[in-house]
Amino acid sequence: MINLSEDERDALQEIMNISMGQAANAMARLIQTKVTLSVPAIRTMTPQDFQAMIHGMSNSWFARQSFLGALRGEVITSIQKNGCEAIAELMDFELPLDLSATEELVLEVTNILSAACLHGFTSQLELSAQLAMPAFYYPGKITQGADWSSILLMDVDFRIEQMQFDTRVLIGLSEGSTDQLLIPIRALLES
Amino acid sequence: MGIPVTIADDSALSRKAIRRALPLDWDVDIHETQNGLEAIEAVNAGLAEMLFLDLQMPIMNGFEVLKVLHDHHEKTVVIVISADIQPEAQALVMSLGAFRFLKKPLQMVELRETLYEVGLL
Repeated sequence: MINLSEDERDALQEIMNISMGQAANAMARLIQTKVTLSVPAIRTMTPQDFQAMIHGMSNSWFARQSFLGALRGEVITSIQKNGCEAIAELMDFELPLDLSATEELVLEVTNILSAACLHGFTSQLELSAQLAMPAFYYPGKITQGADWSSILLMDVDFRIEQMQFDTRVLIGLSEGSTDQLLIPIRALLES
Repeated sequence: MGIPVTIADDSALSRKAIRRALPLDWDVDIHETQNGLEAIEAVNAGLAEMLFLDLQMPIMNGFEVLKVLHDHHEKTVVIVISADIQPEAQALVMSLGAFRFLKKPLQMVELRETLYEVGLL
């Protein structure tokens, strides 16, 4: 498991907070509705803990989007199933949603949130990372193809108030990337 | 004695970023707080002629601080520095009497331009 000092955790949380603020703004522009954010939670966990957490979210759709570069990992977006039609309406999808349209919706939301938050993250730390295309998936396959021997989880809830549904963004980093991430954070703290 | 300035932000990194962005030769006495309630206490104690205010803080958030200052007609110049950059948040803080809304991550040039506009530079 990765050990973070209190200062490193604070710095990571604030950088995440700024990144997610940019993602929320991108989302709010898309749906023309105010989006509220939770305080980002930074946790270290094992892949087993992570799987258990995801399996507990059976009321959500998921998409994953990997990123490569100085940082490697995945952004995972979950969208509560019972809120999809409301958000689809705001995004001018035809209702009712079939599975194909649901996938399209989830992928589009994922792409917007992932791009904004990863850009916020890498630009603040002057690191490079490129996003791959998002893919829809079902829990159980989440670590497939990923080097997640240890996970640094950054977890934020996006809430669209009038609709009472949550979108959650999780960023998982591979173990080597955590070291890459901590180098500029330590430099920031020491400056 | 310098100008009393309070930085209210629950993140140590952000408080440090604000300190770093201030002019080195600016004659100020800087006080730091980690939540909105402490920020109000700092204002009441005369420690905040200028208040740099985060919005998302524990115990009392920045919006609540602005409401208290607004209701009590405080003279403190408030500069909000926030990661919540949605137009609604910006409009709300300005309606509650903030002098300026600055986005995180804080840009040194923007902060100094704001200090110049206030007449403190």
